[in-house]
Amino acid sequence: MNAPLSATPRPIAYPSLVEDQRIHGSVYTDPAIFADEIDRIFSRGWVFLAHESEIPNPGDFVTRKLGLQSVIVTRDAAGGFHSLYNRCPHRGAVVCQAEAGHRRSLTCPYHGWTFAMDGALMGVPAPGAYEGLSAQPAGLAPIARLDSYGGFIFGSLGADGPNLTTHLGKAVEWIDQLCGLSPTGRIRLSAGWMKHKMRCNWKMIVENQVDGYHAPMVHGSLLAANETFASVRDRKDSSPTRVHDVGLGHTDIDHATDYRTTPDRLFRWTGGVPEAKLPNYVAAMRESYGEADARRRLIDGPPHSMLFPNISLAEMNIMVIQPISPTETIHYSTPVLLEGAEEMNARTMRRCEGALGPAGFLIADDAEIAELNQLGVANLEPEWILLNRGLASEVVDAEGVRTAGLMDETSQRGFWRHYRDVMSAVGGA
Amino acid sequence: MTVQTLQPSVAIDHDAIAQFLYREARFADEHRYDDWEALWADEALYWVPIGEDPDPATRISYIYDNRARLASRIRQLKTGRRHSQEPASGLRRLISNIEIETRGEEIVTRSNFILVESRRGALITWAGQAEHRLRKAGGDFRISAKTVRLVNSDEPISNLAFLI
Repeated sequence: MNAPLSATPRPIAYPSLVEDQRIHGSVYTDPAIFADEIDRIFSRGWVFLAHESEIPNPGDFVTRKLGLQSVIVTRDAAGGFHSLYNRCPHRGAVVCQAEAGHRRSLTCPYHGWTFAMDGALMGVPAPGAYEGLSAQPAGLAPIARLDSYGGFIFGSLGADGPNLTTHLGKAVEWIDQLCGLSPTGRIRLSAGWMKHKMRCNWKMIVENQVDGYHAPMVHGSLLAANETFASVRDRKDSSPTRVHDVGLGHTDIDHATDYRTTPDRLFRWTGGVPEAKLPNYVAAMRESYGEADARRRLIDGPPHSMLFPNISLAEMNIMVIQPISPTETIHYSTPVLLEGAEEMNARTMRRCEGALGPAGFLIADDAEIAELNQLGVANLEPEWILLNRGLASEVVDAEGVRTAGLMDETSQRGFWRHYRDVMSAVGGA
Repeated sequence: MTVQTLQPSVAIDHDAIAQFLYREARFADEHRYDDWEALWADEALYWVPIGEDPDPATRISYIYDNRARLASRIRQLKTGRRHSQEPASGLRRLISNIEIETRGEEIVTRSNFILVESRRGALITWAGQAEHRLRKAGGDFRISAKTVRLVNSDEPISNLAFLI
């Protein structure tokens, strides 16, 4: 039976709840499982914190959630990155309330202890009475690990475990693909984030983000109302579009497999903007990568991928899926701006607003369905979620990458396989 | 102390403008999509920014609809399959603190609103300031721009698929 009426037996035996083809409903509702996820996945594992372009200058900072923890991500005077627990070492107040900003130092609002942007204690008011006492904690506490790839900064509260490169595995290819749409190889996430409150478990958003089966139903209204959205891709069950499970919980819908069937057309991924409207961007790409490689990049476009556990490279948007409680999630989204391609960026901004966020033509409906999912799994029978679509036709290559058709549930199975490994492992992620 | 008095450059009927704002609110509250869309000028901007006075060229907004996208929004709602408004939310808003000034031929109003949304057993409160830019059209007005500054635009917000 599902929680909350009857608690899952302890210790939780994840292989008995997460099977290869079906998932027990309690994993979306049980508070003990949520607490376990915050520990194993969102504390000890690697979680996206910020992009380097959000804090480009010394003194810049953003505050972010790592699991349920508030952390400050800063750039110090020498340009180095830090991530610090948002807690004064003196009496525990939150040091930084602002979401983003630029400071020479951080000062606690309680007694005025002041910290450098690397977290070091710079000074305290009226220091005399501390003389002769044993050493105080030196400054704001850094999180255990911080690393970045392609400008994406990730953090972990756990000192042990795989390094970031190992965690990302084949997903680095998607980060490269996205950054490679810029003639300089660099993207900017500088437009700010939409914040969308959803009354559902975080995993429902993750599953949906790489679900090729729901569009005709959930987005039927947009298919009916918007000719471009309806025609720019092959959304039928017979579509050449493939989905992949590349291992370690990283999955995608590979739209390039559709776009490559029309090699005479660039930019289908922009919603079909004619090449002639982006002459400077095309020229800059040719200059950087040569004619053939630029053309390949501009046919393929960006990835549509979900990186375990909670960041999606969602074509020309980045989405972060932040768990709040078993039944509450905040969905963050921001457009991907390409350095050296300003011609594209205004379009990307306006497309992001059209599709995403609480008023978006797409995501508002995804949020609604996720809420119905959450309400549904609170009903006790049948106990299991089915994820077996396309299992028989899935192809596995020599490296273990699984490939299937657009509407197959290979991507969801890939997420859950890794989830089960992480949740069952001795010592967590 | 100096009191600055705004001198309208064209004659304006404050009561008629208030009545127009109330009518727009009622059409939105009652999901009268065609009637609401008909209040808009041919060139228009419907904007729900995030944060204080952002530059929409560099900062993302929750809504930044030109006239064509506004039409798409209405078309989508009218399909009857826009799940986030199917069934439609129960809505009623109060409008108050209306201030009116004119800029050339344009009338600019700023008003405060409190909107209560009933959705699936919950009452959700929305509040903010709406700024309308209106043009005279016969004996009536048309909206050339509406900016809705939510008091909590910096915070996570729920589905905003209805007309705000």
